[in-house]
Amino acid sequence: MMLIDNLPPGLILILGAILVPFLPGKVKNCYVIALPALAFWYISQLDMAASLSLQLADFELQTLRVDKWSKAFGYIFTLSAFAAFLYGYYENRSTQFVSALLYIGSSLMVVFAGDIITLYIFWEVMAITSVNLVLGRKTKKSYQASFRYVLVHIFGGLVLLAGIILMIDKTGSISFDAFDPAKADMASWLILVGFLLNAAAVPMSSWLPDAYPESTVMGGVILSAYTSKTAVYTLIRGFPGWDILIIVGCAMTVYGIIYALLENDMRRILAYSIINQVGFMVCAVGIGTPLALCGAVAHAYCHIIYKALLWMSAGAVLYRTGKSKCTELGGLYNTMPLTLIFGCVGALAISSVPLTSGFTSKTIIILEAANNHMFWAWLVLEIASAGVFLHAGIKFPYFVFFAKDKGLRPPEAPKTMLAAMAFLSFFCIYLGMFPERLYNILPHTELVKQAMPYTFYDIYVHHFAHVVTQTQLLAFSGLVFFLFLPLLKRTNTIALDIDWWYRKGFAVLYLLIDKGLNNINDWANRNIAIGLTGKCSDFFKDGPARLCMIVLKPVWELSGAQVEGSEGIKARFLKKFRVSYFSIGSTAIFTLAMLLFFFFY
Amino acid sequence: MPEPDFKLGYFDQPKTKKMLWVLLWGVCILFLLLELVVHRHNHFEAEGFFGFYALLGFAACSCCILIAKGLGLFLKKGEDYYDADR
Repeated sequence: MMLIDNLPPGLILILGAILVPFLPGKVKNCYVIALPALAFWYISQLDMAASLSLQLADFELQTLRVDKWSKAFGYIFTLSAFAAFLYGYYENRSTQFVSALLYIGSSLMVVFAGDIITLYIFWEVMAITSVNLVLGRKTKKSYQASFRYVLVHIFGGLVLLAGIILMIDKTGSISFDAFDPAKADMASWLILVGFLLNAAAVPMSSWLPDAYPESTVMGGVILSAYTSKTAVYTLIRGFPGWDILIIVGCAMTVYGIIYALLENDMRRILAYSIINQVGFMVCAVGIGTPLALCGAVAHAYCHIIYKALLWMSAGAVLYRTGKSKCTELGGLYNTMPLTLIFGCVGALAISSVPLTSGFTSKTIIILEAANNHMFWAWLVLEIASAGVFLHAGIKFPYFVFFAKDKGLRPPEAPKTMLAAMAFLSFFCIYLGMFPERLYNILPHTELVKQAMPYTFYDIYVHHFAHVVTQTQLLAFSGLVFFLFLPLLKRTNTIALDIDWWYRKGFAVLYLLIDKGLNNINDWANRNIAIGLTGKCSDFFKDGPARLCMIVLKPVWELSGAQVEGSEGIKARFLKKFRVSYFSIGSTAIFTLAMLLFFFFY
Repeated sequence: MPEPDFKLGYFDQPKTKKMLWVLLWGVCILFLLLELVVHRHNHFEAEGFFGFYALLGFAACSCCILIAKGLGLFLKKGEDYYDADR
C-alpha cells in the first residue's frame, strides 16, 4: 500500500535533484545513490493499471502509462543509475549530479509517457541535460564535441517535432501507440527518423562516438545507457515490424565493428560497440514479432549492464592514468588486476560467451530471425556476433591491459568504483546462468520461456549443442585476432566518420559564405556606402565652386597666376568655398559670373 | 630493442605467451571436435555442414579486419586533422 500510487517514477529523480546542491560533502553522494534505489523500489510497487493524466490546452497528457514494457525499462534504468552513482562516488560537483539526475529522470519520463507530447518534452530535456556530462570534462575537445552534440540533437528534435505536429494535425490524437507500416506517411517517417537519430542509427550515428568519448569519467558510464536505449524503447513501442529497421539494424552492427577496429581511443572503441549492439535491438524491432520484441527488451537490459561495466573499467583506467589511447596504454594488468577482471566480465558478456548475460539475450534475437526464415539478417547478426568478440571482447581489454607494457604502474581503481563494477559483473554472470528472473519481467514471458531454455540445466546441458557452436564461433574469432595482430597494430590516428560531412562540409560552407557574401558586402561598402556617398558629398560640397571655376579658370590663366598645385589659386579657391569665407568684392564677382553663365548657356 | 627499465609481468614472459597460444588452439580444436558428439538443430541448410560456426567466425573476422585495414587507408587521419586549420 503506497501513499502516492500514480506518480511518474522519473519525478523521483527530477524533484530529487533540487536538493543536491544543498547537501554537504559525501552526504550528497550517498543521497544520489539512494535516489535511483528508491525509484527502483517504487517502480516495482507500481500497479499495472496506474495512470496519471494532465490537461494541457485541448490535450489530455498521459504522463504515466504502466505496463510490462515500461516497467522492464524502468527497472534497468534505475538499476544502472544506482551503479553509475556508486561508481561516481569520487565526483563532488553538484552540476554533474543534477544534470545526471535530470537526464536519467527525463529518460524515465519518456519510458512511462503514454502520449507523444510528454514524450517529446522530456526527449528534449534529455538532450539538454546530457550535454553537461560531456562539458564537465572541461577540455577544449569536450567543449567542441558538446557543441556539435547539441546541434545534432536539436536537428533530430525538430524532425521529431515536425512529425508529431503532422500526426496530431492528421489524426487529432496524441496517444503514442504502434504505427502501422502499411499506412506509413510523412508524419510517421519523420517521427521514425527522430527516434533513429537518438538510437545512433547509420547514417545519423556519428554524434555518439564524437561526444561520448569526450565525457567525464562518470558521464561516460551514464551516457552509454540512456539516450540510445530510450530510443530503442520508443522504436519498440512505435515501430514494430517496420522492415526498414532490419536493414538499418544490420548496417549498424557491421558499421560498429569496422569503425571499432579502426579506432585507437579505448572509449571510442566502446562508443562504436554501442552502435553495434543497438543494431541488434533495432533489427529485432524490425522483425517485429512478439518474441523478437522481447529479445530487444532483454538485450537492451543486458546491454545496459555490460556496457556500463565496460565504460566503468575504461573510466577507471582514464581516472588513474589520464590516458585513453591504446597507443599510450598497455600492461595495466600488473597494477589494476581487479579493473581488468571486471572489464573482462563485461567484454565476455558483450561477446555472448556462454555463462554470461549476452548469451541468454542476444540468442533470442538471432533465433527469431532464423525462425522467420530471414537468412540474410540471421547471417549478418551471426557475423556481427563474431565481430563483437573481435573489437569489444578482445581488442579493448588486450590493448588496454596487456599488449606492450608501457611501464605504467597506476594504483588500482578506488574501492567504490570496484564495488560498482563488482555489482554489475554479478548481474552479467547471474543473468547468463539463471535468465529466468529476466525472462519473467519481459512482456511475453510465456512465449519466451517456450522458445528459450531458461534453467541452468536446460541451457548448458540439454542445449549443449548451442554452447558448442557459439564457443566455436567465438574461439575462432579470437584466433583470427591473434593471428592478424600485426595488422591491428594501433596508430596515433582518428578515423573519419559521417561527421566529416558536417565538420568539414560546414567549414567549406562557412568559407563559401565568408568569401562569397562578405565579398559582395565589401564591394557594396567600397562602391556604394563609401564611394557613392563620398562622390555625392563632394558634388554638393564643391559643386558651386567648380561651376564658378568654369568661368574663372580662363581668367586666371590669362592673368598668368599659378593655377594648379597645393599653393595654386585653384586649391585656395576651393578651400575658401568649403569654409564659406568670402570677401565682399568676391561676392560681386560671383554674381557677375553667375549672370555671365546664364547669359551664355 | 632497448631493455625496459621496469620488470615485465607474468603475461609478458615468453613462457606464458607460449602457453596461452597452446590454450587458444586447444579450445578451438576441442570445441570443433565436440561438434562430433552433439546433435545440432539447424534452421538453414547452409549451417548444416561440420564446422560451419568455426568457419563463419574465422572468415567473418578475417574479412572484418581486412576491410577495416583497407578502409583505414582512406579514413585514417592524423589526430589534429580537424584542428589543423584553426
